Amino acid sequence: MNELVAIFFGMALVNNMVLSKFLGLCPFFGVSKKLSSALSMGVAVLLVMLVASLVTWPIFHYLLVPYGVTFMRTVIFILVIASLVQIIEMTIKRTNMTLYNALGIYLPLITTNCAVLGITFINIDAQYTFLQSLTAALGAGAGFTLVLLIMSGIRERLDLADIPRVFRGAPIAFLVAGLLGLAFLAFGGMVG
Amino acid sequence: MSRTRGSLYPILFLTLVVLVSVVALTLTNGITVDRIDEARRDAVTEMLQALFPEMDKYREEGERFAVLGEGSALGTAFMAEPMGYGGPIEILVGLNVDETLRGIQVISQKETPGLGAKIIEDAFLAQFSGLTVDGLALAKDGGEIDAITGATISSAAVTEGVRAAALRRLGQGGED
Amino acid sequence: MASLRESFTGGIFRANPTFILLLGLCPTLAVSTSLDNAVGMTAAVLFVLLTANLIVSLLRRFIPDRVRIPTFIVIIATLVTIIDLLLQGFVPALSKSLGMYIPLIVVNCIILGRAEAFASKHGVAHSIADALGMSLGFGLAIVIVSLLRQLLGTGSLEVFGVQLFTIPGLTDNPAAIFLLPMGAFFVIGVLLAFFRWVGVSECE
Repeated sequence: MNELVAIFFGMALVNNMVLSKFLGLCPFFGVSKKLSSALSMGVAVLLVMLVASLVTWPIFHYLLVPYGVTFMRTVIFILVIASLVQIIEMTIKRTNMTLYNALGIYLPLITTNCAVLGITFINIDAQYTFLQSLTAALGAGAGFTLVLLIMSGIRERLDLADIPRVFRGAPIAFLVAGLLGLAFLAFGGMVG
Repeated sequence: MSRTRGSLYPILFLTLVVLVSVVALTLTNGITVDRIDEARRDAVTEMLQALFPEMDKYREEGERFAVLGEGSALGTAFMAEPMGYGGPIEILVGLNVDETLRGIQVISQKETPGLGAKIIEDAFLAQFSGLTVDGLALAKDGGEIDAITGATISSAAVTEGVRAAALRRLGQGGED
Repeated sequence: MASLRESFTGGIFRANPTFILLLGLCPTLAVSTSLDNAVGMTAAVLFVLLTANLIVSLLRRFIPDRVRIPTFIVIIATLVTIIDLLLQGFVPALSKSLGMYIPLIVVNCIILGRAEAFASKHGVAHSIADALGMSLGFGLAIVIVSLLRQLLGTGSLEVFGVQLFTIPGLTDNPAAIFLLPMGAFFVIGVLLAFFRWVGVSECE
């Protein structure tokens, strides 16, 4: 149990997907302007990460490895993710129209979110067990959402601040991300 | 070619693309798999040489390497892979014939540059040479290893990882 | 329609994927700790983008609209795996250095974006020009970032084992923060602001 908690917090805070592994940057800078869209995106990514890990882990360990075709990993994983996103999108559209409208175009974008493919790779490279993989995905998604929320909160405030013209928009967002990363370094000693 | 009317065509097309992909990848894998294995073996030889400079050759026995030089056994070497701060740390551990530590080599790590990554520096690694497996602990835990300032987790991971792996090997020592 | 030359130079300056379009940031920030990495990554991206654009452009009249995106994905993923395997076999040091960011090229928005927005709608010559331009633009960006990070973070500049440049005072006490993730964010933030300041890109 201890190990799972360590993995969760490790993924969420210490090795945060965005701030220390540089994954999931596109949506990070594109979506993080408003708090509400940030939350929707974060939760959607968490969901996809979880389901993707759920599906790709068994595929790798029970299909790719025994048949010696581990080199098919990238192709198979990305196809799985693309299909999952499609399925999730259709399910949401059919069951909850309001949610679907809230997430809008962000859903299909999750396919190209490096964080989702990234976590499936990490699960394999770190040789996690099935349970550990799910925990890692949960942690990664939680961390991603957390950072997205913090970032959007800050950016909503930044919009009202008097920033030099050349820094407005993307430049200041990157600098803030850097400072955020610096702050997250403090989590370093937390696990282990 | 009508492309949107038939609902079978898109599926066939995609299947064809996937088949071509599988063929292409299998071919590429065929060309490279030997080289990849060879690269790994070369890396191992290099690492073993660094630990046992007088090595002539080595024998792979299951999960460990029996190192031979000048006609006699020099010791054994094996891998330890503890979980570090940023990911798994691959360590090659060398044991002398008298079961003291010959030394360690860090093969791969993902620790923080400037902090945990300093575990690859000689200053840290040299501490391991000549110790007994029982004396393997950080100074703060009563052992002989000084942790790297600001990188306790990485230092501890290496120390513990080496100790655990060595104990495991020694436990199997009787099967020589 | 834009001329061949415009398709090419657009990717380098006017529509630089990294600094202007803000695409493909993940690898740029992740591997830009050394010039070796930057060059290696650019070569990989060039290979994938060029070949993908070429194939998509050649097949553009045959690809059914409904499976458009999955087809692009399979093509790109295959190319990425090929370069990944080739690197592991022939340049293992670089492969280790770039790690999982090579297979992650498959979700690099630059490549999927160009296949969708350009190669599927233009002829082969233009698609190649576009691919070259975008790759060089990406390369330029990642080299600049790596240059700054390596120089400030280690005090010296070297590529493939050849020492190019050192700042004497800095080698003893380098600003290691630039090697860390946040250093990358700072460098890019400042660079983006710089480009707006000199008028290359537009402010918001």
